[in-house]
Amino acid sequence: MRDASPRQWENPAMNQLSPPARILVTKIGLDGHDRGSRIVAAYLRDAGMEVIYTPPWQAIEAVVKLATEEDVDVIGVSSLATDHLLIPKFIRALRQAGLDHVGVAVGGIVPPDEIPSLIAEGVSCVFGPGASRAEIISHIAELAAQSRRNRADDLLEIP
Amino acid sequence: MAENAANATQLPLSEFDRAYAKWRSDYSGQIGNDRPIRNRSGIEVKPLYTPRDWSGDRYNDALGCPGQHPYTRGIYPTMHRGRTWSQRQLIGLGTPADYNERVLRILEAGASAISLIPCNSAFRGNDCDEVDFELLGTCGTVVNTADHMDRALRNVPLDRISAAMNDPSPFTLLAFVLATAKRRGVLRTAVSGTSNQSDYISHFVANHMFYRLSLAGSRRVLVDHVEFCRRHVPKWNPISVVGQHMQQAGATPAETMAFTLSTAVQYAQDCLERGMDIDDLLRRFTFFFDISISFFEEIAKFRAGRRIWARIARERLGAKDPASCRFKFHGQTSGVELTRQQPLNNIARVATQAIAGVLSGLQSMHTDAYDEAIATPTEESARIAIATQNILREEAHLCDVIDPLGGSYYVESLTDQMEAEIEKVIAKIDAAGGMFQAVASGLVQAMIGESALAFQEKIESGEQKIVGVNCYQAADDAQADRPTQRPDADRMRAHVEAFKAFKAQRSQVEVSRALDALSRAAGSKNENVFERVVAAAESGVTHGEIVSCLRKELGFGHPLIVA
Amino acid sequence: MGAPIATAPRRLSLVDRIRAGDTAALARAISLVDAGGAKAAQIHRRIHPLAGRALVVGFTGPPGVGKSTLIDAYIAELRKSGRTVAVAAVDPSSPMSGGAVLGDRVRMGRHSTDTGVFIRSLAARGHLGGLSPDIHRIIDLMDAAGYEQIIVETVGTGQSEIEVVEIADVRVVVNAPGLGDDVQALKAGILEIADILVVNKADLPLADRAVRQLENMIRLRKDGGRTVSIVATIATTGEGIERLAAHIDELGRTGRRHAGRGRSRMIRLIAQAAAKRVRDRLVAAGAPIEALASDALSGRIDIEAAAAMALAWLEEKPQGDRLKGPAGA
Repeated sequence: MRDASPRQWENPAMNQLSPPARILVTKIGLDGHDRGSRIVAAYLRDAGMEVIYTPPWQAIEAVVKLATEEDVDVIGVSSLATDHLLIPKFIRALRQAGLDHVGVAVGGIVPPDEIPSLIAEGVSCVFGPGASRAEIISHIAELAAQSRRNRADDLLEIP
Repeated sequence: MAENAANATQLPLSEFDRAYAKWRSDYSGQIGNDRPIRNRSGIEVKPLYTPRDWSGDRYNDALGCPGQHPYTRGIYPTMHRGRTWSQRQLIGLGTPADYNERVLRILEAGASAISLIPCNSAFRGNDCDEVDFELLGTCGTVVNTADHMDRALRNVPLDRISAAMNDPSPFTLLAFVLATAKRRGVLRTAVSGTSNQSDYISHFVANHMFYRLSLAGSRRVLVDHVEFCRRHVPKWNPISVVGQHMQQAGATPAETMAFTLSTAVQYAQDCLERGMDIDDLLRRFTFFFDISISFFEEIAKFRAGRRIWARIARERLGAKDPASCRFKFHGQTSGVELTRQQPLNNIARVATQAIAGVLSGLQSMHTDAYDEAIATPTEESARIAIATQNILREEAHLCDVIDPLGGSYYVESLTDQMEAEIEKVIAKIDAAGGMFQAVASGLVQAMIGESALAFQEKIESGEQKIVGVNCYQAADDAQADRPTQRPDADRMRAHVEAFKAFKAQRSQVEVSRALDALSRAAGSKNENVFERVVAAAESGVTHGEIVSCLRKELGFGHPLIVA
Repeated sequence: MGAPIATAPRRLSLVDRIRAGDTAALARAISLVDAGGAKAAQIHRRIHPLAGRALVVGFTGPPGVGKSTLIDAYIAELRKSGRTVAVAAVDPSSPMSGGAVLGDRVRMGRHSTDTGVFIRSLAARGHLGGLSPDIHRIIDLMDAAGYEQIIVETVGTGQSEIEVVEIADVRVVVNAPGLGDDVQALKAGILEIADILVVNKADLPLADRAVRQLENMIRLRKDGGRTVSIVATIATTGEGIERLAAHIDELGRTGRRHAGRGRSRMIRLIAQAAAKRVRDRLVAAGAPIEALASDALSGRIDIEAAAAMALAWLEEKPQGDRLKGPAGA
């Protein structure tokens, strides 16, 4: 279904992060449609971001490992069917692995009444299929900037 | 118009030409901004069509009468006036008991055909105890054994009701149906229905969730499945070629029809190589399409499809029986066009798509509920979807005339143009070595990807308006706060526990024996794999075990993912 | 006076955590090093002495030959013997937007939960040749983290093939038959680059011919060339992978490691940086260099002579604002 997300995102002059934002685009659960996630990956690349793209049916454990190895800033979960029902479990796994700073956005089809609970779990935004390219890019860029700011400082102590 | 002018220098102007020229001039003067308009397949759509675009002198060649080659006007002499299209609403949810409740109500309301959608976990080849509990039964019914199918179809007379199983290779749902029939003493020869998701090529390309076995493995099992059904379950349609997935993935209507027909040719050729008789085979071919809201384009697509298929069957595949040339199809109103904003608007959308479907001459139809794209439909929305079909039939009298748009200058013209577009794409597929090669190499996927992106741009730019989304917006309806129906967790938990208990107390010897036989058949060149699937189903082997065994022998289905 | 004072646990440094096998620390360090700058240099100074045990295997080749699928199968083979492996999969960045879609690990899903395998996707970020100048630092990080083999995957686009030579101990060049040009694999210089030539998708019709063409090329080489092996594989089924692994192992045992690896590359990078400095100074010099250029344009002197004069001028730069002519003039 197509949706123009009603929320207005602040759109500061979009200074691209340096090094470029690293975004994971993935699918957990059972659905296999990747038309939407492929298009979003292309949008983000054209906006100067580095996108790590996975096939569908990723185990949560695998996504956590990947997010760690790739030091991603944001995870975009593409969810059609009912896969969003796994998000709470997913976010818990991210937290347990020390990936609190990573922003999580969901794109796809989520019944409107189930969106508030996703937000409560820590998802920053749910994009419907009609969300515009500009909104998606702007929000993900903002999330990535936030993620960089929130990184744990102790990792920076070097010698 | 240019050709009219040219003619004008040759011949004296006819009355028509004069009138047309005047119209043309008035039109140009008053229209203001007139950009060329193209439909989704890229064909330019003019403001007016006249006998100059299509006159009746090609009637016999291009149209024929209903039930006669090339079937453009309809595959049967009587069409809907004789027998209306069947209402075949697809349903699937929760436990087999939940499904049974709903299906009995549908039958009571007068449906003559049912359909079962299995849970997504089953689509992935898993049993219910192998996936996250949260996901069970949310999009389909959890059927993993013959017992489950028996429960799901309790009090459903298998010898009188046509049952469509939305099940990809290796068709365990049909195997469970046959096991159930055996228990009830119903002969296989009496069981009727369709394997709705037998089209592995469309899954590989455009619906990865349904894609279980490798391409080569799927190819083998499909032919085994067809052979078995032709021999033992003659009223069953083992092949349904599905254009829906590709159109939903972004293929244009013309591309969709071309890909679907090319796939049908591929399957027919594979079966012919096995030595099957073409007429016996084609008699049971069916097609499954999406009906988009591009109203006239859809009608032209299906009329052209009928015509092309008739020719392909006769000239390319060598069918002798006229019945083999009939393009039988089920249409589903397109769910990707429903919006989340102002969801009640979707009722109007579905009605429009349904009218296009009826006027296209389909054989059976599923109308979406207005909330279908968000979650499994409620009782109320499902009822409205059926009422829509009834209204079109009873009140709008859409069944009274066969192919009512036949002879329309526009529709005939457009049918011809769609035919040309479709043939162009079929030629491309042929040049690539046929549909199997074309999808293995990624050619089809690339074409679909381009069309999808192009359409997305049209929406982004506002060129394609969508009411409630990029125009005529309003605050979301209160509908948004209505809680989504989810399967009853307690009932599902009990179902999973009962399943585990069943596995523990069934005969492990029988199960091992059946699985060994299945492995052996898959590893052999000549044994029929599907026959062993049916035998396994009768021995208490589960869906997940069957799929797992075949994945090991024939290869796991990895769709071609292009990042 | 009694119980010892409990000391607060000392916060482990980034480098300590890397050595202890903390993958999050390794990943962070890679990001910092890839970003360049002072922090990157700082990290590398600490890490470099700890590196040197891993075998670095470079895989390169044109797009579409199945490199990632091949690497996936190769990793599986390595894991059979329990060896740990880290992968740096490099893809080009879009020249227009600077972004990238990094999809190589799509094909390496088999190892998605194996803690003995570390996979990192990297974008070339506009560096000519497809590898960032700091790739050797990233390799050292993975080395110091304890991975026994490090695989670097790049798309072969000419320059990057040379880069792979410079940073890898074993160089594998992958090709596939029938990509429209089965001589594509035979571009000049490929035999100088490769230790192992792989013909993947060996089930395709033209595979045998591709293998024979490569064998002929090797045979016709001048003597004294390094041994180049040819392996035919079908990455999707695993066929030929055991042989490939055996060849790599053999080379790993007998070949050079770490100390030599990267030296020639470093020399090249230093030369490149030096050349840039020279260019900047010459451009800033103004009139004397303009005069040189005119002479070279008119044919009075050739470019080589002009270059020698320019260098000489730079050497005595503080004084020289007038160029001496050709010797003695």
